[in-house]
Amino acid sequence: MSFWGPVRHTWLHRTNPVVKLGVICLLFFMTVLTHDLDVIIYQAMIFTVCLLLLSGIQPWKMLLFLIPFMMAFLASASSMMLFGKGDTIWWQWGLFKISEESFYRGLHLGFKGIAFAAEGLLLVTTTQSVDLFYALMQKLKLRPKYAYSFMASIRLLPMVWEEFLIRRQALKVRGVQPARGPRRLVVRAGLYVVPLLAQSIRRAHRVAAAMEAKQFDGDRSQARTYYYPSQYSRYDVLTVGLLAAAVCCAYAGASYYPWFGIGDVRFN
Amino acid sequence: MADQGTGRSAAWEPMAAEGLREPREQAVSVEGLRLKYPGEERLTFKDVSFKAAPGEKVLLLGPSGCGKSTLLQVLSGMIPKATEVPMKCENRQLPRSWAYVFQDPDTQFCMPYVDEELAFVLENLAVPRDEMKARMREALDAVGLHLKELHMPISHLSQGMKQRLALASALLLEPEVLFLDEPSALLDPEGRRQIWEAVKRVSAGRTLIIVEHRIEEMADYVDRIVLFGPDGVILGEGPPKEVFARYESELKSYGIWYPGVWEDYAASRAGQQWFPRIASSSAAGSLSSLEPVVASSGEGRGRPDQENEVVNPNASVNANRCSREPQITLQSFAGQRRSQPVIALDHAEVFPGDYVAILGPNGAGKSSLLLSLMGLLPSEGTYILGGEHVVKGKRKKLRKRREQQLRQIGFVFQNPELQFVTERVGDEVAYSLLVDGMPASEAEEASRSILERFGLHGLEGRHPYQLSTGQKRRLSVATAMARQPSVLLLDEPTFGQDARNTFAILEMCEQLRRSGTAILMVTHELQIAEMAATHIWEIREGRVVSQKVSPRLHAAESDMALAEVSS
Amino acid sequence: MGVPVKENLELQSRKGLRVSDILVTVLVSLVFGIVYHFWGSVYSLLKPFQADELLYGMWFAAATLAFLLIRKPGVAIIAELAAAHVEVLFGSGWGLTLLMYGLIQGLGAELVFAAFRYRNYSVWVAAAAGAVAALGSMVLDFYYSYTDDLESWLFIAKYGMRILSGAVIAGLLMVLLAKALERTGVTALLRPASSKDYEALDDPRHG
Repeated sequence: MSFWGPVRHTWLHRTNPVVKLGVICLLFFMTVLTHDLDVIIYQAMIFTVCLLLLSGIQPWKMLLFLIPFMMAFLASASSMMLFGKGDTIWWQWGLFKISEESFYRGLHLGFKGIAFAAEGLLLVTTTQSVDLFYALMQKLKLRPKYAYSFMASIRLLPMVWEEFLIRRQALKVRGVQPARGPRRLVVRAGLYVVPLLAQSIRRAHRVAAAMEAKQFDGDRSQARTYYYPSQYSRYDVLTVGLLAAAVCCAYAGASYYPWFGIGDVRFN
Repeated sequence: MADQGTGRSAAWEPMAAEGLREPREQAVSVEGLRLKYPGEERLTFKDVSFKAAPGEKVLLLGPSGCGKSTLLQVLSGMIPKATEVPMKCENRQLPRSWAYVFQDPDTQFCMPYVDEELAFVLENLAVPRDEMKARMREALDAVGLHLKELHMPISHLSQGMKQRLALASALLLEPEVLFLDEPSALLDPEGRRQIWEAVKRVSAGRTLIIVEHRIEEMADYVDRIVLFGPDGVILGEGPPKEVFARYESELKSYGIWYPGVWEDYAASRAGQQWFPRIASSSAAGSLSSLEPVVASSGEGRGRPDQENEVVNPNASVNANRCSREPQITLQSFAGQRRSQPVIALDHAEVFPGDYVAILGPNGAGKSSLLLSLMGLLPSEGTYILGGEHVVKGKRKKLRKRREQQLRQIGFVFQNPELQFVTERVGDEVAYSLLVDGMPASEAEEASRSILERFGLHGLEGRHPYQLSTGQKRRLSVATAMARQPSVLLLDEPTFGQDARNTFAILEMCEQLRRSGTAILMVTHELQIAEMAATHIWEIREGRVVSQKVSPRLHAAESDMALAEVSS
Repeated sequence: MGVPVKENLELQSRKGLRVSDILVTVLVSLVFGIVYHFWGSVYSLLKPFQADELLYGMWFAAATLAFLLIRKPGVAIIAELAAAHVEVLFGSGWGLTLLMYGLIQGLGAELVFAAFRYRNYSVWVAAAAGAVAALGSMVLDFYYSYTDDLESWLFIAKYGMRILSGAVIAGLLMVLLAKALERTGVTALLRPASSKDYEALDDPRHG
């Protein structure tokens, strides 16, 4: 999205989106399979540093990262901390119970959440949708009908938003009262969703007709040229190297300077 | 899947693929076409035949919903290849190459930028990348779209420019036949002029098949007009002059914007009844229009025998101006978006029975003015409504109070669908009344009589979305009028409507005006302003730059009651 | 030179996803994706109290709604992926996890629809699809957040609520929404014509 538009281009911006996607997916699986608290803390820290260095966006926007980070941390950590199994009980109040095991496990999940967030944002802040889909079509043979449907839909989204704002005003004008109670709330939601979706369906249908009128053959990959060529370059190697080094740093940091040194949080 | 693919490539570029380029007798034709939409009761077409010779410019005319657009899709092969509609025909010759321009400027593109959109077409044709830029430039130049930078967001273009971009992308297909499906219906007059200029420029040597209601700009350009009746039957065809002469009453009753439609309406019985010039000094040619002309349209529209009609339309305007309090007084008024003033106005008064047309270019702040008057945008300055200062402030109590005050204003949005709140036409009007606290039985009764007045009776059980575009528009106006507001704000209520609906809406507004409602209406059409409105405000770059008396009003009266304000 | 009549009739059997099917699916899902994005904020606040689980079905709603509208194989998965995609675009803290969850949840719903050969559009099937999508998310939770290490009473309550929510929100509510959309008439654009519609062309009553 243009909101994350960079003010300076870094290596990561110049990397082929498919390579980026591949590397980030690998990082993602690595994080999923990491069960060591210290390693995950270092991962969260190092990927956050990478994000700050490589996203290339204005510094004030980086503050916005705090929101997904906090959310990822809290949402991931809280239930495990408060409701996890464990023998060494530190604190208990009604159904809430914090044990040593559940605390560390929750902490682990919280940092894991941050690591995921940083990895995801590394991709999102440095990749334009259009570039990504062009790369997917050319390098991974994604069928054009899917790629262009996505790109066209993204183009239509701001119109949906505009209509939402108009609808809100229109409901006010028509004198629709604020809703109370779950039943009313559902009815109220319907007052928004039905018109917006109806307009969207009609609009999507028209765009599809216009695309086909422009000789777009969505079914077979007709001989196609591409306006934006997707090529591999030395930046791909640099990015892979850089992120690999980041991973190594995380593991090295965890083994030389551990924070807790408790190892696997599953305590098996 | 497999047969679908082969079927498509065989039919989409049927002749080009075989390399046949010898001259053909017909550029495109269909014989004995039968077509029926699923769920519709009757056939859209029953054994209809149509053909066009190479290079011929054909215009299809007919009432809304008669199937003209469907025929275009059949001729191009879009039906049934891209849109499945049951159809059969004895014979069909698809064009060797073709392209399409649709009605809605916002739903013709799949990419966010101009160059990317044009590239999409070139990619489909497998044009090598290094040739793309040159061909884009060429196509854009051909339609008179001179952009400094090709990589420009489409959303930054005006609607008229978007339509020309759609035409440019159609040209990239190097079409022998160009299908135009109401390309100017959703444009303002300037955009309309430009798109038709562009079409004329690029259509040399191409076959043109046009569906359009707005034909003032190109009626004399086409070679042949084909006129359809309401049930998909071809009534007649021939050169434009002939068709206009022979089918005048059909053109009127189908709501076609033929050249001279305004003059004809003004001279018609309905036009005389509803929009008499209040005096003739400032209006050209109005003397002759005072003579009653009976041979005109207006069946079912002019309802002169309505009981709630004020007999003398002059009375309300004149009397209100001199004796009564203004309905709205604005002083140093400014409407804001995100704390920035987007529309400013030094001083204005609107009296009961005034009909203000608000003109101005796109994005100048016309809609913002209405929204701020409605309290949907925050505003600064003095705003007196019905003798009371409209309360300002964000606190809940103040907000409630303000909303209460503003309840006496009715508002009609540009897209009627977005203001419907029920699933039945019958409930839609009643809803407005129930919100105002009218007992249910009474509301039902009132709703019925209002629907009757707006020509919507018999449709009570329908879902509002299932109405025709004209009916939707009338319903949206009806819901606002039902509450008998003292002020009615309308945002381009006639936009994209055919002539018949436009006049119907104007008549409804006039009726309300005569009963004392003050009307403010945003519009792009100067004719509306001059014929129907009593006052014309012009907005440019976020300012109301002039407030004039409409030609409809007496010039002498204007001198007395309202000194022209301009800034 | 003309196109024979027969050719038109061959098209009746078109079943694959057309560009318009995909576009409608994706756009509808993106709209849901935006709702999800804001939903996510509300949701996170409820998280520590587990009340969020009662609303979890919202995350599968795009899959069932898209299927109820388009009624073709594959749309449930595309819908979930598309909804996840827009959330990722908005910079959600969940990152790529969302795509993974979207895929599995969409697959869950898709399996149920496939089991009924894509011909059953009832509340029960939609509810079942929502419930199975919930099971899909549960499987991922094991890997992602060690939910098997939660206290067992909580585990049962958590996933019981989630499955219920999937059935109610993604099933019942989406069927109601699809019906409301049907009443507006826009869904007629999406439905393929039946052979009965073709036969009507030759109906003597029209002749």
